[in-house]
Amino acid sequence: MRILVLNWRDLAHPAAGGAEVYTEQVLRRWVAAGHEVTLFAAAVAGRPAVETIDGYRVIRAGSRFTVYREARRWWDRCGRGNFDVVIDETNTVPFMAHEWVDDGTRTVALVHQTCEEIWHHNAPPVVAHLGRLALEPRWLHRLAAAPVLAVSESTRDALARFGAQDVTVVPEGYEPPALTRPVVKEERPTVVFCGRMVSYKRPWDVLRAVAIARREIPDLQLWMIGGGPLLNKLRAARPAGVEFFGRVSEGVKHDLMARAHVHVSTSVREGWGLVVTEAAALGTPTIAYDVPGLRDSTLAAGGVVVPPSPDALARWLSDLLPTWQRRPFAPVPFGGAHSWDDVATQLLSAVDEHARAA
Amino acid sequence: MKISFVVPTRNNARTLAACLGSLRNQTHPDVEVLVIDNSSTDTTVAIGERFADQVVQWGPERSAQRNHGTKCSTGDVVVFIDSDMVLEPHIATEIEEQFTAHPEIGALIIPERSFGEGFLASCRQLEKSLYVGDAAVESPRAFRRELIEEIGGWDENLTAAEDWDLADRTKEKTELGRVAAYIWHDEGRIQLRATFAKKRYYGRWIDQYVSMHDDSNSKFTRTALVRKPGALLRHPVLTAGLVTLKATEAAGLLLGIRDSRTSSAGSRT
Repeated sequence: MRILVLNWRDLAHPAAGGAEVYTEQVLRRWVAAGHEVTLFAAAVAGRPAVETIDGYRVIRAGSRFTVYREARRWWDRCGRGNFDVVIDETNTVPFMAHEWVDDGTRTVALVHQTCEEIWHHNAPPVVAHLGRLALEPRWLHRLAAAPVLAVSESTRDALARFGAQDVTVVPEGYEPPALTRPVVKEERPTVVFCGRMVSYKRPWDVLRAVAIARREIPDLQLWMIGGGPLLNKLRAARPAGVEFFGRVSEGVKHDLMARAHVHVSTSVREGWGLVVTEAAALGTPTIAYDVPGLRDSTLAAGGVVVPPSPDALARWLSDLLPTWQRRPFAPVPFGGAHSWDDVATQLLSAVDEHARAA
Repeated sequence: MKISFVVPTRNNARTLAACLGSLRNQTHPDVEVLVIDNSSTDTTVAIGERFADQVVQWGPERSAQRNHGTKCSTGDVVVFIDSDMVLEPHIATEIEEQFTAHPEIGALIIPERSFGEGFLASCRQLEKSLYVGDAAVESPRAFRRELIEEIGGWDENLTAAEDWDLADRTKEKTELGRVAAYIWHDEGRIQLRATFAKKRYYGRWIDQYVSMHDDSNSKFTRTALVRKPGALLRHPVLTAGLVTLKATEAAGLLLGIRDSRTSSAGSRT
């Protein structure tokens, strides 16, 4: 098949995240299976406009804001008539390929997550209200006319609220890290948090919950892994029993996560919550807030979701941590997600089954 | 001691995974989970099948679903849980401890606290916190099997106030105990209009309940709300919201009672 994927970032983009890893893992497997794959993304400083990576072609043009127009122009110049299917990978803003792919080529959208509450954490108030109440609903209602693939049940439910009818859940993938040596759990009861120190991950809630739980478990310690704009403020609060590691290498991160007894996650919303999957694969169970995305990954990984408040998190921590300290939690295969080989195969058959011409 | 949790459902996909997940993560080693569904059209059944030991279809109302759950369960203790509740991990263990330590106790109260989104949910949280320990409001949820079978389970003629009715019949037979761990009750986003409609629907059963119980006045006065004025004074804004919420509920109930009287008067003539 000749496949065109539209995603505003590729893996070379400095802000690339989980969605770009997903794309890269899947595309290289499709190429290996004999398909012809092109990825269209925004320009990246210092990277060529056309490049071949792992067998697939990357075309780069436009900025964060103009990439959508550039994609359409590129389609007019070079795309039309040369593809069998177009995948509109939506990262906040859809390309609306189903509206402008006009040569009878089939299209399908792939959505990792909706933004919704995250607008208020990532944008200034006026923009956030505009985005949440006007822009995003409008985009998603337009996208609702297309067939959509979603990476979690939560994302499917969110899209359904915006009127999408043809939504199929496709699996999330994860490659467990190879640990160089067996990991021994800490002596002291240990909680780990891993994520960027930004407001929508709610790191303050973690500090508060651990402070409350320390009334029951006085020697409880907390490891905070990750950099970000809030790091200095959090550090300045000097909470008892808390160690801040800042941004660390993958190896150090995996080692710390594996040595802790429990991993906690308190985001406002996630697409899937890959960090939960990662912890489970390393043999560390998660207690997470019951919010979209974290709900999916945590329950798939055998963890527990709790009401989104520091009080609740503290109650569950002080009840469950001693149990998990006595009775170790076995690593979950692929952390409750799927192998990338599985994902690539299932995604391709979902694309083939659901994509349709406008 | 085996603990059976019975969860009646009807289109509860929003909250069910968290509820059943919390039952599956009880620290007690011998726990059974039953979902008694009443023709859900959303993903309730799929979620149930992922977590529960049994998913059974039954109707027509909650009381009948719960009684059928008792019949299908095999535990020494039957605990009735709603699909919008999340249980702290020690509850099953504490139930066993209480029943073992106090053979004279046949049923246990599990205290509740509520959570949800928005201002009215915070008002509700304040209200529920005042009820903790108030015998007039709290109902038992965990029953020894012999007891629940002896008193004949839930009254299938009542769709509202069925928990008070069961509590009254339980108190005639046995002492009530309580556990210390909490149930967290998900109120979601409370909307006055929906609250009003729900209370109006429940109000239709109030006359029937009152006719069955002479001493039921204590249930409606909710003296706990004024017995702890300190908590209310500390949160004046929440208190104002709570007053609005309770007034809306009262109006709904009164209208519901009137609905049932006009319809029964109509059917008599």
